[in-house]
Amino acid sequence: MSILTWARTRSPWLIHFNAGACNACDIEVLAALTPRFDVERFGGVLKGTPRHADVMVVSGSVPRKVRERLKRIYEQMPEPKFVVAVGSCAISGGVFQDCYNVMEGVDKIIPVNAFIPGCPPKPEAILDGVVKLLVSAGY
Amino acid sequence: MSDRQFVIPIGPQHPALKEPTSFYFTVDGEVVVDVEPRIGYNHRGIEKAMEVRNYIQNLYITERVCGICSNAHQTAYTGAVEEAGGIEIPERAKYIRVLFHELERIHSHLLWVGVAAHEIGFDTMFYYVWRDRELVMDLLEEISGNRVNYAIPTVGGVRRDISKDNFPRWHKVLDALAERTNYYIKVASTEQTILDRAIGVGYLSKEDMIRLSGVGPNARCSGVPCDTRKTAPYLLYDEIPFEHIYVDNGDVLGQVLVRVLETLEAVKICKWVLDNIPEGEIAVKFNPMQKLPEGEAVYIVEAQRGELIHYTISDGRNMPYRHKIRAPTLGNIPSLVERLKGGYIADIPITLAGIDPCFSCTDRMVFYDEGKDRSWVWDEEQLRRYGLEWYKK
Amino acid sequence: MSIENQTKVVKELVNVFGEENVTDTKVPRLYRAFATVKREVFRDVVKYLKEKHGFVHIVTISGVDMKDRYEVVYHLRSEGFNMNLKVPVPKDDPKVPSITDILNGAVLYEREVNDLLGVYPEGHPDPKRLILDYDWPEGVHPLRKEWDIQTLRQKVDGQKWGKDVE
Repeated sequence: MSILTWARTRSPWLIHFNAGACNACDIEVLAALTPRFDVERFGGVLKGTPRHADVMVVSGSVPRKVRERLKRIYEQMPEPKFVVAVGSCAISGGVFQDCYNVMEGVDKIIPVNAFIPGCPPKPEAILDGVVKLLVSAGY
Repeated sequence: MSDRQFVIPIGPQHPALKEPTSFYFTVDGEVVVDVEPRIGYNHRGIEKAMEVRNYIQNLYITERVCGICSNAHQTAYTGAVEEAGGIEIPERAKYIRVLFHELERIHSHLLWVGVAAHEIGFDTMFYYVWRDRELVMDLLEEISGNRVNYAIPTVGGVRRDISKDNFPRWHKVLDALAERTNYYIKVASTEQTILDRAIGVGYLSKEDMIRLSGVGPNARCSGVPCDTRKTAPYLLYDEIPFEHIYVDNGDVLGQVLVRVLETLEAVKICKWVLDNIPEGEIAVKFNPMQKLPEGEAVYIVEAQRGELIHYTISDGRNMPYRHKIRAPTLGNIPSLVERLKGGYIADIPITLAGIDPCFSCTDRMVFYDEGKDRSWVWDEEQLRRYGLEWYKK
Repeated sequence: MSIENQTKVVKELVNVFGEENVTDTKVPRLYRAFATVKREVFRDVVKYLKEKHGFVHIVTISGVDMKDRYEVVYHLRSEGFNMNLKVPVPKDDPKVPSITDILNGAVLYEREVNDLLGVYPEGHPDPKRLILDYDWPEGVHPLRKEWDIQTLRQKVDGQKWGKDVE
């Protein structure tokens, strides 16, 4: 495989975005950085800005106000980019289906490459999802 | 507004409020002059949704109002429904509810200590604290089956029982937690890097705090004794011996002290519960089609971030007519605005994290200089680094 | 704090403000009391409670859509004693006097009631939209009983959608 693919999949830089979530998925994503689970052994680092990131980790059922911001942050990431939707709220609205302010699912706003179900998914499941994404990208 | 003042919007992703939030800071040089909060990014329409679901289905929604205080919301919800319906729960159920209430308090305060350490740049402490937090997460997972969203309280009692054979091992885990927390108290009160960033930052006096109706550890760090577990006890808190923690520092150091000392008290309460729990049933029967008599009830609990109120009105069906929830961070926003005024830009992240808004997410920050019509973009990383370098000088 | 003390406070309110202005009082248990207060005397009741009995803390403000009127419920607290004042508001005149000058902490709660139920706080320093989206249509207040999920979606998105529709 080309050296670019080798470099990209061996060190995915992550950005995390909370699109109106209850914060349970977000603390599990943060827990995936801590010494017990440790995403850095796969080369992943949590960055602060979309312009440096390869993989966006999104959680949350998307309320109306957040739609525009989510799209804008997705557009600011440079190609090639991947999106991982964490938690059942990001997949289909979760418990909040049939609530008036909720757009059900992140994939109605931006294209998604990997879905990680759970409410919230354990940190091991999140790492598993990120690794499967890298494998499908050519790891 | 003078020529030197300009407006900085921060958000909607931010070192978090419970909700992704946006703030508009008007700054004059380095000093923050005014703050305008804009919320609503996390509004999912929960209160409307609760009116068309029955009381058991609403348990699942209240759990997910906030992932870190999920058990506190369920305790308040079941308390309000039981009070409105005149349902008495067994004694053993009360003890188990108190145990989970306090275990969640431990996990949430340790989470906060780690996040606050990260905000001032002390990443090592962040990793240490979150590694120790795994002790209490393992305990929670062992009893309830999940690390977050335990689903223990239900209308009429609790769902799962705890077995006496495990108590000696759990006592050892709680003792280990108390020892690590004592170590962090020593670090927080003697380490010079923390003291430089925490003393005098975001100060608010007791009179202002009372005037602005602040709640929780945010109010207790300014000297207001407002712990609902002591002033208006619910469940078993009138029988349990524990201290009412409040200090009069009023700044970020006060926030740290209040939360760490409360963690120690929570460990004591958990050990008391394990020593004194009686035998008995764990729940009264309540099925989803059961109608509640007409009535209303208000139930106030002390969640991790402050006082949490659930107000329910029932009109005789098996669904609530109206259910109102007010989460503690909304009550802390007026006092947060006052804390930020008069401080430096470099202090914004730690003051915001100091009131314990739910959690730290990434952010975009745009500087717009009206005079020169330039704009440049910073992210949270750069803001933090700016704060660290500013303090080095 | 005992039930006798609480009943004394509530009876005092009825004596000072008159039986036609303070009605439906009840003290269901320790630390709780409810009372219905008319809109005209309501600000004086709050001032009286704050100065004479120490009710300096406002917990929250709820808006309820009863079938023939709106009710705005003010939850006040003084050291553990929680007093709940209900103010009925007619549906054709949805306004209520603001109490932000008496209790500064009420500033965000009144904006929320205005946004979600449509009861306007007169005298509020900054009654902007708090929670709903910036381009949400005016006059559509979700908590009112006339809206349900599909009619809201019809009004805001222009079409009904979701799993009950297909």
